[in-house]
Amino acid sequence: MKGFFQNLLQWLVATLRVVAITTVGTGVGYLLGIGLSFLLTLLTTGTGVLDFTSPAGVVLGSFFAIPAFSWSVSGYGPVTKGFLLLTVSGLVGYLVGVGLDSIIMKSFRPTAPVPSAFSLLFAFTAFFFGVYGYRGITRGLVYQVVWTLIGGFIVTGIRALMGLSAFGGFFFTEPAWVFGALVGAVAFLFGVGVMDDWVKWARGMDTPEFHEDEPGWEKYLGVSLDHKVIGVQYTVTALFLIAVGGTFALIFRTELAASGLQFLNVGMNLFGQNGPQLYNTLMSLHGMIMIVSILLGIAGIINYAVPMLVGAHDMAFPRLNAFAYWVSVPAAVLLLMSLVLGGFDTGWTGYPPLSVKAPVGQQMFFLGVFIAGWSSILGALNVIATVVRMRAKGMTAMRLPILVWASVATSIIALTATQLIGLSFQLVMFQRLFGMGFFDPAKGGNPVLFQHLFWFYSHPAVYVFVLPGLGVISELLPVFVRKPLFGYRWVAMSSLGIALVGFLVWAHHMFTSGMNEYLRVPFMYSTLLVAVPTGVKFFSWVATIWNGKIETPTPMLFVLGGIVVFLMGGLSGPPNATVSVDLHLHDTYFIVGHFHDTIFGGFVFPFFAAIYYWFPKATGRRMSEFWGKVHFWLMTPAFFVLTFGMMRVGLLGMRRRIADYDPAQGFDTTHLILTIAAFAIALSVLIFLINFFHSIKHGEKAEGNVWNSRSPEWQVPSPMPAHNYETPFEVVGEPYDYGLPGSKYIEFMPAQGGKH
Amino acid sequence: MAHKQDKASMLNQGVFIFVYLAVLTVLEFLVAASFNSTAVLIAVALVKGALVVYYYMHVYKLSADHEGDHNSYEYKSGTNRLGLWLFLISDAFVFGGLLVMRMNLLGLTRPNLNQLLGLGVTSILLISSFFMNRGETMIAHGDRKGFLNNTLVTFLLGLGFLIGVVFVEWRLAAHEGLTPSSGAAGAAFYMMTGMHAFHVLTGLVFLAIVWINGRRGLYDEKHYPVEAAAVYWHFVDVVWIVFYPALYLVGTAIV
Repeated sequence: MKGFFQNLLQWLVATLRVVAITTVGTGVGYLLGIGLSFLLTLLTTGTGVLDFTSPAGVVLGSFFAIPAFSWSVSGYGPVTKGFLLLTVSGLVGYLVGVGLDSIIMKSFRPTAPVPSAFSLLFAFTAFFFGVYGYRGITRGLVYQVVWTLIGGFIVTGIRALMGLSAFGGFFFTEPAWVFGALVGAVAFLFGVGVMDDWVKWARGMDTPEFHEDEPGWEKYLGVSLDHKVIGVQYTVTALFLIAVGGTFALIFRTELAASGLQFLNVGMNLFGQNGPQLYNTLMSLHGMIMIVSILLGIAGIINYAVPMLVGAHDMAFPRLNAFAYWVSVPAAVLLLMSLVLGGFDTGWTGYPPLSVKAPVGQQMFFLGVFIAGWSSILGALNVIATVVRMRAKGMTAMRLPILVWASVATSIIALTATQLIGLSFQLVMFQRLFGMGFFDPAKGGNPVLFQHLFWFYSHPAVYVFVLPGLGVISELLPVFVRKPLFGYRWVAMSSLGIALVGFLVWAHHMFTSGMNEYLRVPFMYSTLLVAVPTGVKFFSWVATIWNGKIETPTPMLFVLGGIVVFLMGGLSGPPNATVSVDLHLHDTYFIVGHFHDTIFGGFVFPFFAAIYYWFPKATGRRMSEFWGKVHFWLMTPAFFVLTFGMMRVGLLGMRRRIADYDPAQGFDTTHLILTIAAFAIALSVLIFLINFFHSIKHGEKAEGNVWNSRSPEWQVPSPMPAHNYETPFEVVGEPYDYGLPGSKYIEFMPAQGGKH
Repeated sequence: MAHKQDKASMLNQGVFIFVYLAVLTVLEFLVAASFNSTAVLIAVALVKGALVVYYYMHVYKLSADHEGDHNSYEYKSGTNRLGLWLFLISDAFVFGGLLVMRMNLLGLTRPNLNQLLGLGVTSILLISSFFMNRGETMIAHGDRKGFLNNTLVTFLLGLGFLIGVVFVEWRLAAHEGLTPSSGAAGAAFYMMTGMHAFHVLTGLVFLAIVWINGRRGLYDEKHYPVEAAAVYWHFVDVVWIVFYPALYLVGTAIV
């Protein structure tokens, strides 16, 4: 007990030090921001106004908070250096942007969007320069910034020659931004170096089949062909985007804590938007950034685990694998660019006609999603090819790990349906650029067509999100209850069942959209049908747990939490699928609550479980159990409060996506509780992130079979070497026969010299 | 291997398939001009597409060699083949989506286009597929010169198709008042032909790459890259086999 208190005291002192230093850094930035905005008002209007709520203070405060936090946690290392450069270049980029903008626009506009865009791009690039130097991702970002400008100026020049307006309120005109952004994204891929081998092949040159990675953490910031490195790259990028999307959610959740507009009001101006528009932008971007982070997160799990689970030395197409990861980075940059280029107010769905009228940020959003879609498509292609062609000897279909089945099911959807969201967004982009009347009724177009194309992907997409997570649950559960998985065949087939039925349900999002009424009932029944294969999974989990010897280390806690939360999501689903009820629930917070339950249960909880579970495999160390349990026991109750509260206000009449509500509806208090719960979740994730990065160096050593698993990757020491298994293995038994004496899943073959 | 045949019979097969395709194309043109049955047009397009998929794209090769040494060139080519087909399936959903868009917006009407030009560019693309098949067959049997000549002809025909659509057809249509912003018909026409033309362009780039590298003898032994370029080229042809009736033949023209 004494040791515990001593430990607690040490932690408290360390935490206080971090908080103190971060606060000082924030304060300095805040005061600098206030001072700067004072100077600016002095310069522009002649009389200086000291505005203590100026956004410049908030922005600069958080800009300074980051390096201070990093310094207090890890001292002056490459990361802190990166963050310092980030802050400095963010400011430099802002000033360059202001200068360029005022030269070309011939007016001084400190709050115009373009300085913010420059600031963002400069800051990102400088961070990686500080950490890693001018190579890999830094070179990619420099290429992206430079070529975005070149592409923009090319179109601007052409427009000027044609006598069209050359510059607009967002510096470049919309076509110039779109073209520049596209060129910039492609240039990123060349800059980062992921195209090198393909260019050589096209020129008839030969390349080695494998490239040696540099040792240590630096391989993660450049192009690597190793599926395990790429899996970690995906996972860390996903965690970064979860932090960004979560921060956006906290901002607008705070605004919702009470009725009325407190700080996102018409008086404020940031990134060329007033408060309500910024609310809409943040709300929309929260949706799409989280979706992209989920896609990257599942790609992380799948990329890391699947080749090891099937006994392959890598994915089928290692270069395509690297390409699929790296293409998501410029996509993420474009999504963030949409925030600073005027934002957009359509929600993540981007329905026309509203999305035809929104500022240029909408185009960055469309383009970012389109490019991120390629990451998903090509990743899925690679997974299917790997599973079909690269399995170990004896690994027949009915001896595949369940996670592999789930990955294949998810990849079938991602490979095909993703094209439709890309197409629907492309059509709106073209409607905006060339006046093509796809969705314009005045030109014979049809806005409802957009919704069909969009939901044909975006509904199955939720199965893309949850199927790998449900696979992780089925994969980990037998390990921690020491019992065979109940009904293996049914569970394997249920993933495919969900994937296939999932293609037939999209129009249940459109019961109130004005589509043909006779379509409602068939789509209602097809939607309800999804509950059948999903129910199979639940029966299997319950029967697997039944009479098991349950152990509850952190990954198992998240598995169990995932099952319960997904059950809540599952039970709140059929009411929405039923037409008569949906007509009332549509676009209320009930939907928001239901959706967060399904995604937390089907993705977030299993994702954390997978990270805690495979962390020792990747690093040879394990994450702190204590802080893992704190993470779980803080996040889970807070999450239940959040989603049940969302459902409650939804049933009482709260509309989704809006910034304000009528106090007479009587749910001010509930909203306040929701906001507190949201901050508790954010705190738990912060604890997780610190635990994650801290454990990479300082975690307890764990090089053996930590979880006493039968899975092949745990039969060899951690961390896994570059090309996986030194000797190939053969599958000789069933994967999940835990607790059956004498049963074996795999046997390593006698060594026979070289592999590959 | 069941489908491995000698060079002469493979080339003959290519000729027969091309004759079928040509006859069916003339047939659909005449059907559209006379009694214009949508069902017949769909059936003809399906048959043409199936012929190309089976005899020119050799879809059956996907089922071959799942056993064997994972590190042999044959096995790796089989993996690459699967990857390419998965990509084509994915890409087919783009064109499927465009077709849905066209059907939703226009139904059984179509833009008023130059019929002879449409038949002309369609024929050019079909003929290019014929030569592509010859080129692939020849390199598979070690005939580098034959491969180079046929690929060059394919490339030139493909270039002709691209010019015919983008620089002739688009100009003629715009002259007739069919522009991207003129209405749903214009939007559908430019979007569908534009997306297809973009794929033709990428196909031309692949053809140029295999032609240049082929001159240096890079594919004399390992000729999977030629097969990949050919399969992709035929896929672009299959898309046009569906788009041609969808844009030029089905229903009645909006004047």
